[in-house]
Amino acid sequence: MNQLVRFLIISRGQWFWMGAGIVLGVLVIFANTLLMAISGWFIASMAVSGSSGAAFNYFFPSASIRFLAIARTVGRYAERLVTHEATFRILSELRVWLFKRFEPLAPACLERYAGGDVTGRLRGDVDALETLYLKIIAPLAVGTLSILAALVFLLWFSPPSAGVMLLFLVLAGVVLPLLVRRFSEEPGRRSALLAAELRNKVTEGLQGVEELILLGAVERQAAVVDGLSAEVIAEQERLGRINGLSLGGMAFFAGSGVAAVLLTGSMQVASQQIPSPNLVMLLLFSAAIFEAAGLLPSALHLLPAAQESVSRIFELADAPIPVPDNPVSYDLPADSALCFSNVSASYLPGKPVLHNISLTVPAGGSVVLTGSSGIGKSLLVEILLRFRDYEGSVTVGGVEICDLPKETVIGMIAAVPQRPHLFNGTIRENILLGNVSADEEQLQQALKNSCLDLWVAALPLGMETMVGVSGSAVSGGEARRIALARALLKNAPILLLDEPTEGLDCATEREIVSRLNSWFRNAGTATMLVVSHRPACLQLGNSVIHL
Amino acid sequence: MTEHSEESTDSNQLRDNSSEQWLFVEAGKIRGLLFGIVGLAAGVGLLVVFQAHILATTCQYVVIQGKGVSSILPLAALLFLLAAGRCLLTAVLEINSAAAAAKVKQAVRSRLYRKIMALGPAGLPGDETGPLIETVTKGVDELEPYFTRFLPQLSLAAILPLMFLIVIVPSEWRSGLVLLFSAPFIPLFMILIGRGSEKLHRRQWGRLSRMAGHLLDLVQGLPDLIIFGAAKREATVVARVSDEYRSATMAVLRVAFLSAFALEFFATVGTALVAVIIGFRLLLGDLSLGEGLFVLLMAPEFYLPLRNLGLSYHARMQGVAAAERIAPLLARPLPEGFAGTFPAPSGPPAILFEGVTFRYGGVRGGVTAVDLELPAGSITALAGESGAGKTTLARLLVGLARPESGRILVNGHDLTTLAPDSWRSRLAWVPQTPYFTSGTVRENLLLGRPDADEDLINTALAAAAADQFISRLPRGLDTLLGDRGAGLSGGELRRLALARAYICQATLVVLDEPTAGLDAESERLVCEALKRVARGRTVLVISHREQTMSSTERVAEIVDGRIEQVLLSAEYLSRCEVPV
Repeated sequence: MNQLVRFLIISRGQWFWMGAGIVLGVLVIFANTLLMAISGWFIASMAVSGSSGAAFNYFFPSASIRFLAIARTVGRYAERLVTHEATFRILSELRVWLFKRFEPLAPACLERYAGGDVTGRLRGDVDALETLYLKIIAPLAVGTLSILAALVFLLWFSPPSAGVMLLFLVLAGVVLPLLVRRFSEEPGRRSALLAAELRNKVTEGLQGVEELILLGAVERQAAVVDGLSAEVIAEQERLGRINGLSLGGMAFFAGSGVAAVLLTGSMQVASQQIPSPNLVMLLLFSAAIFEAAGLLPSALHLLPAAQESVSRIFELADAPIPVPDNPVSYDLPADSALCFSNVSASYLPGKPVLHNISLTVPAGGSVVLTGSSGIGKSLLVEILLRFRDYEGSVTVGGVEICDLPKETVIGMIAAVPQRPHLFNGTIRENILLGNVSADEEQLQQALKNSCLDLWVAALPLGMETMVGVSGSAVSGGEARRIALARALLKNAPILLLDEPTEGLDCATEREIVSRLNSWFRNAGTATMLVVSHRPACLQLGNSVIHL
Repeated sequence: MTEHSEESTDSNQLRDNSSEQWLFVEAGKIRGLLFGIVGLAAGVGLLVVFQAHILATTCQYVVIQGKGVSSILPLAALLFLLAAGRCLLTAVLEINSAAAAAKVKQAVRSRLYRKIMALGPAGLPGDETGPLIETVTKGVDELEPYFTRFLPQLSLAAILPLMFLIVIVPSEWRSGLVLLFSAPFIPLFMILIGRGSEKLHRRQWGRLSRMAGHLLDLVQGLPDLIIFGAAKREATVVARVSDEYRSATMAVLRVAFLSAFALEFFATVGTALVAVIIGFRLLLGDLSLGEGLFVLLMAPEFYLPLRNLGLSYHARMQGVAAAERIAPLLARPLPEGFAGTFPAPSGPPAILFEGVTFRYGGVRGGVTAVDLELPAGSITALAGESGAGKTTLARLLVGLARPESGRILVNGHDLTTLAPDSWRSRLAWVPQTPYFTSGTVRENLLLGRPDADEDLINTALAAAAADQFISRLPRGLDTLLGDRGAGLSGGELRRLALARAYICQATLVVLDEPTAGLDAESERLVCEALKRVARGRTVLVISHREQTMSSTERVAEIVDGRIEQVLLSAEYLSRCEVPV
């Protein structure tokens, strides 16, 4: 519940739209039930007056029927628009809030979240947060309020009918969904687990398909996949059966509710407590109001998973900032010399990666760091970027980097990180990120220095080619060169390159190394630190340090 | 831009048709269950008619004839029974649906997975593993609503309204006419509006999905934003893009919701008209309340199947989208060049590459005009920079791909004339990251030959220098490994893979970088194991590590897809100045 309250506080700017959506939802259900009730009362009264010959003023009911019919139709349309408008307005508000919260947490906290599956998990969780109102809050509020209003209506016309309807509405709208939730918990959990396992086996199989073919083990592995698939499907089928029982239960309670109202209403008619046409009205009203009860099960069903998602997100948003920004010195470093002395650092507390490392890159110099994977080369780059904390001393131009504002340090550095991210936009947008005010000439130069010029020129849309989600429309080598062009465009005094030639073929790799070298000689003042295990990259440094 | 999306709309429609045909064929296989679902739903419809009839009759008794409660008790009891019957039929129907879904999903997944495995990398050039995994797992699940929702609703939308009309007309033919003539407008308008909004949505689809994923895109790229000092600036972009996303989506939704509006409109107007007609006929005394109320109760039920069909449109879209990915995979032809019939030679083979070229259809690197001889029983290292074509050459040799030109001779016979199964049973392949599945060490060891006896296993483990670390494992050969061999070190997994190759009793062994990323001690163990495993076999080892090359007889160097030179190992190593 705490998460829901917090969600409401964050989205407080949109309470008007949220409230309007709920009010409209209640009005629509009411227009519909009243339409049925008045229609029933109308024809019963017409029948009574037809058989008794007494006069009946049919103008009021027939006008009401017309009005309610329009109100229901237009109201439903308006309700859908308003609830969706509210959802998207909340989404806007939430996204800005989340982005501001996440910004200082990257990358150290984000990568720990959800066991590293940031994209997959975060997508689902943010989705749950963004549709919390539309799928859960609004239906729960509309359903509950409509049921309460309906009970008041029934209480006014026929207290005994209100009593029995209370029973059946609670059974259908609350007890049944809670029972369903209880029974589907176990198969739901198991089917999620088994589905993950199935996915794992399928991944294993598809990744190892060559070896399985050569071992003649394809059929055996496929049989294992079949077996798991059957288990997953059996659980899904069990969930389907529970759903069937729940739908059946709903039909039973709705039918019985109407039958019960038939009895209570008839008793009241017989004892002349209510006029006889009211019986038909009560019956049609009761049948229609089960629509409101029908809103509750799916919302209640989604609630626990959504709560879990939402609390995961809030937990992440509340995480302590991994590398605090506590500047004590605001002077700009005199030059761009880098000096690590006795530096120790780790990705996770208690699992040290770097131990008392010391190395220096003189201002205007270039150093290549090599060493086997996992030794902490990339960690050194991330320390300079202030992504990770460290022990010992790391200075830029003689100033300890943790004494400087993060912005100052990062302002001096351009970098191609270990896994550069391409944003879903054009090549131009991705490169211009390095320097939004760069002119066309600087852009072309950066393309050339990163060996992209010929490739871009050959693309039908050139620089306006979209790179796809996370660069999925370009190859790994192209993505890395785009990231390199972006870093070169920033034109910062310090250039950090983490495996700049990963995923490139030999010829391109050699070309890049030679172009970077001539760029470096011409740039004159730049200081360069390259991390690589590729022999060709060794030529990028005045000196090579083996970790 | 617009032209482009128009084009894609057309091709989408083309694909819609063929994938929907495939869905129909699949539906034919569970015909029985689907007819059962429709039959049960029609049964529920019949119960609805009875419910309405009894309710209406009871009202006639109480309101018009003034009967007491005791005389309607049996009717009320019957209503409870009907509710119970509806409950029962609904539950059985859903259980049937679940069974139908299960049957379709299991059959399709099994066929699809086997087909993808049979196609192998040679039959799926350019397909990435990620989307394939997605198709086999979630894609198959997404077929379900097409069979359990859309298809039944499609038949019910034809059956139920007709059935209801037949029971309504005898009591009130005027109302029947109103229903009959209002009904066709519903699908008509829904289709018209649906088409319009779909077009609108397709035109904007790229932009909308980009805006929908905007936040995640930025969060994933946060480190890059920070590096370029753009993180603060992007916060305002988030707000702007979300607002644009809202107005663009709402523009689509305003049209899309019109389709539901049209449905509600005609259903509501139809019902209201029926109510008014019945009212006035009742006033004139032409109709009994029982009959009138029955017709009024049936009017919304008449429109309900049409409404459900409209709601299941999404289920259809989802199913068709999944079928669009599944059907082409199932229909894809198996790769050519794997239909040889001759048995592979039994001794260690002599291999000869003759002008072998494979350039991935010109897409990337590969090998060009390779001539190379591997004498029977020899052990050769293949050296060269990464990307030079070493792995490509190895994959051609083991027969995972066929040369685009040139040929590979095995004891003088073209490799493509040999029966693939026979050839595969004679060779062992240890790739860079050997395949390991979660299971016991033994299961992983016996993947190639599940029937190997204990003696062979022990000899293999000893030869691969794997016996010692396995005896140290808590449960020996029955120790459980995690995913991809988690629990053993890289060197241990390589030696296990060597033992597996030994157990296969292959006559040709191909190893891809068996010592990459290993420390000196592990490398020494693997190299010694390699020498033992190589005895009496033809061996090709890809490696550029000095120690590994020194345990071979000859080194073939490959540069940019061409064999540069073939030298004796000692000669090659003395010439080569390995950079430090």
